[in-house]
Amino acid sequence: MNRVFRPARIAISALVLLFLWWLGSQFYADYIFPSVPSVWSAFTSAVSRGVWMEMVGDTLLHTLSAAGVILLIGLPLGIVIGRSRIAEDLSRVWLVFLQTVPTVVLIAIALIFIGANTTAVVTVTVASGLTYFMLSVVQGTRAIDRDLVEMAKAYHAGESVIMRAVLLPAVVPYVLAGARIMLGVAWQVTLFAEYLVGSAGVGFQISSAIKLLDTSGVFMWGLSIVAFTLLFEYGMFRPVEAYLTRHTRRS
Amino acid sequence: MSFVEITGLSHRFGRDRGGPVLSDVTLSVRRSEFVAVLGPSGCGKSTLLNVLAGLVSPTEGTVTVGDGTVRIGYVFQAPRLLPWRTARRNVEFGLEQTGASRSAVRERAAAALELVHLAEHADKYPNQLSGGMQQRVALARGLAIEPDLLLMDEPFAALDALTRSYLQEELLSLVRRTDSTTILVTHDIDEALLLADRVVVMTQRPARIASIVDVPFGPERSVASLIADERYPELRTSLRELLRPQVTAAAGPSRAQVTADA
Repeated sequence: MNRVFRPARIAISALVLLFLWWLGSQFYADYIFPSVPSVWSAFTSAVSRGVWMEMVGDTLLHTLSAAGVILLIGLPLGIVIGRSRIAEDLSRVWLVFLQTVPTVVLIAIALIFIGANTTAVVTVTVASGLTYFMLSVVQGTRAIDRDLVEMAKAYHAGESVIMRAVLLPAVVPYVLAGARIMLGVAWQVTLFAEYLVGSAGVGFQISSAIKLLDTSGVFMWGLSIVAFTLLFEYGMFRPVEAYLTRHTRRS
Repeated sequence: MSFVEITGLSHRFGRDRGGPVLSDVTLSVRRSEFVAVLGPSGCGKSTLLNVLAGLVSPTEGTVTVGDGTVRIGYVFQAPRLLPWRTARRNVEFGLEQTGASRSAVRERAAAALELVHLAEHADKYPNQLSGGMQQRVALARGLAIEPDLLLMDEPFAALDALTRSYLQEELLSLVRRTDSTTILVTHDIDEALLLADRVVVMTQRPARIASIVDVPFGPERSVASLIADERYPELRTSLRELLRPQVTAAAGPSRAQVTADA
């Protein structure tokens, strides 16, 4: 029964949201609460002018290159911190700092040191997203079953085999969970940084649209990001996770 | 000519919390012999196996196993299977470390799973197997590499009585078919008598050898034949006496030979 009803319930709640949007827009001017058609036309016009592709491309580039840098730095650092007490103590202050410093302060500092450009946006995103990913890797490394490592050693497995066959697979679920949260944070921070730094990207477009009272544009850009977030969740994370954690399923 | 030679082995863990775990253990095991190391739980028997497997360097004493290049299979108390590998791939893990070719690895793993009657479950993940099946996979992993020395650390202790007695008989027939030397650590007297050629009785921690008992039953034995054997209850009783804390404390590291008619 649930197989039929659950998608139906989700579809109904989506329709209710669209209906409320339509209803709300009946009472307000377009520059305050834009209607569904005007947001759609903002979308088609942005696409036909080529702005949409360009700006979404910029934001994707910012977010994904920051995410890539975070994975590259965060995985080895997280494993080292998870395995060594010394590394943990040395990194503690840095991690607490990165976790607590307000994003807006990071952006201000980046503007002073780097300037109003792409590098500043990416740097701020890396600085904000790194700890979310790294702490998850640290947790995964600590959760490694020492008994399995001992088993591998008893069968004369070398360091590289232990890394490939025992340690990495154990950390994978934590890496995925960390990457998922990190990417969510990275989208937010990138848009925010683009908004304030004002170089390029969807965040920058939103800041221009607001100045021109182009509320349809704000809605349209916002929904575009929502669409991409969902695409990454369902098009990438869910299938990859289902594949990599297939051994945890029973039957 | 002995195959495993343990001389004056003592071990204490770092900073000496709780004193030494092993004290002056000297033992030699012949090739193809099945030795059961019997002692109270937590007395340091596992440490003895870890030393033999090269996982722990002893504080004192020497251990030699064959010419030093022998293959060692280790079956732990818990199955210790890699959760992300199927039963087949878990059995292959041990084989992969021997440097055998891919096809040989696959072939021997299949044969080992056949041996423990798990061929039809080869592609299941540990999570999908019962505790007894998981332990059989672990046993197959140990047997697949055709070990010169098979170490077993209370491999059936965590299983229910029925599964345990079934696996003990299975193991009995398996070790008769191979000529590997086996050292089984256990606290189960019946298990020791069913499987072993000799029983080494350990004292409580620090573990020393209290006594070494020759098991008079031949290679063709079963639970039924042991129960029918009149020497069995006597042997059982004398081992029980040896395991009693006050008796073992008094016995010290002597190597009294207790036989069935003693």
